[in-house]
Amino acid sequence: MDCNGCEFHPDLYYDDEYQVWLRREPGDILTIGMTDLSQAIAGKILHVRVRRPGTRRPAGKPVATIESGKWAGPVPNFVDCTIVAVNEAVMATPALLNQDPFGAWIARLEVHEPLDQALARFVTGEAARTGYRARAERDDIHCGRG
Amino acid sequence: MSEKISLRVLDTGLRRAAENMALNRTLLECHQAGDSPHTLRFLRFEPCALVGFHQNVEQELRVDHCRTEGIDIQRRITGGGAIYFDPGQIGWELYLDRRFLGTADMGEIARRICEAAADGIRRLGVDARYRPRNDIEVDGRKISGTGGAFDGNSIMYQGTLLIDFDVERMLRVLRIPAEKLSDKAIASARERVTNLRELLGEPPPLARVQSALAEAFAEAFQVDLVPEDDLNPREQTHFAQALVEIDSEDWVYQRHRPAGGMPLLEAVHRCPGGLMRAGVMLDEARDIIRQVWITGDFFMNPRRMLVDLEASLKETPVAELETNIHRFFDAYRVEMLMLSREDFLQVLRKALDSRDPASTRAGTHAAG
Repeated sequence: MDCNGCEFHPDLYYDDEYQVWLRREPGDILTIGMTDLSQAIAGKILHVRVRRPGTRRPAGKPVATIESGKWAGPVPNFVDCTIVAVNEAVMATPALLNQDPFGAWIARLEVHEPLDQALARFVTGEAARTGYRARAERDDIHCGRG
Repeated sequence: MSEKISLRVLDTGLRRAAENMALNRTLLECHQAGDSPHTLRFLRFEPCALVGFHQNVEQELRVDHCRTEGIDIQRRITGGGAIYFDPGQIGWELYLDRRFLGTADMGEIARRICEAAADGIRRLGVDARYRPRNDIEVDGRKISGTGGAFDGNSIMYQGTLLIDFDVERMLRVLRIPAEKLSDKAIASARERVTNLRELLGEPPPLARVQSALAEAFAEAFQVDLVPEDDLNPREQTHFAQALVEIDSEDWVYQRHRPAGGMPLLEAVHRCPGGLMRAGVMLDEARDIIRQVWITGDFFMNPRRMLVDLEASLKETPVAELETNIHRFFDAYRVEMLMLSREDFLQVLRKALDSRDPASTRAGTHAAG
């Protein structure tokens, strides 16, 4: 637990609003998931839908959508990629995104640009920890496990 | 005094569902891109049935009935369940920044907006109140349903307001088993829904409804209202593109959920306080209780506790039914005569136990 009870992993990569985390896998593959901050502000997630494996998604087009309460919206995507795998456990039990946001990965993505180049647009390590904590404080986000 | 933030007010008039859905996407995406200001939109619909973002049309609607009756079918970009819309209702929508209301918590944002909307409806002379999570009601009867969508830091939150409403017409659009359309079932649905015409004796003029809502939002959020006649040029361009995608079978009939049964399970429970009947609509593929209905001749005060309990049990995983019932009664002040929370739990369990064993296995399997 890191800030306001929100879990953080310095080895992962994050967008500048800390909505998603990315993990580098062998090959040009990234795993994407929701951060603890995202699941906390979304509330209990009732539905998740991921585009089919094989689907190409340009940067800006979401790889997945979620629904909590009556809110629906995208899990944002910032890289030009093709979905290569979907976490079936999360599809079947969306609440895993609330219970274990860093364990409950959503999809694996094949990235259509050099991985180092893509990851340079994200934050990681201690810089990410500082930003993550700042967002939790600024938006008064307290993480709990749904 | 610091200068107030502006809230643009748009009235896009009576439109086809596809146009209204395309406008939802347009205004949300343009807001996210910085091309749209904070906006309050009023909208009305030609007769249509709208499924929630993650629903399957065939599972929720009587498609043949809609086609015969000329009722458009569309998919919302917001979550929640299927609804029927016609010119007897008015829609209101807010497009804001996630931090506009000083919180990023989605539940809190919904509550703040719904409370402001309820204040607006009260200005028309009815005692409207917010009912968690997403309804506005008058004396326990729903008058406005709401839901939201987000995209990055932009949010869109929308609600319906029933000015005049035909419950039977709604029930015939939704996929509810034929035997549930009995006079009694229709009467029961009517008890749970109300509208301004019924409450006020006549429908108030649309302009008055709009100004009451707009003024309530302006006061609650401390903003200046800026009425405008039309979309800005960037929004116009975006709208034309969004309409092509949304006014299509690909958008409307996309399948989001594994196909599964949605049985209506029923049970009767005799307890010292009286006879209790319950209906449970179960999403078998996900093992989630979509909705429950409870009726009976027992005594409680306030009587509206029943509808509050029903509202709190929407979308409850079967495994969490007991916890949710306890959580509800722990927080709710109600006086009951020879009746306990266990009775409610029992009647709902009994309904769930009436599941076809074969479909129970399939449901468990699909839920992983």
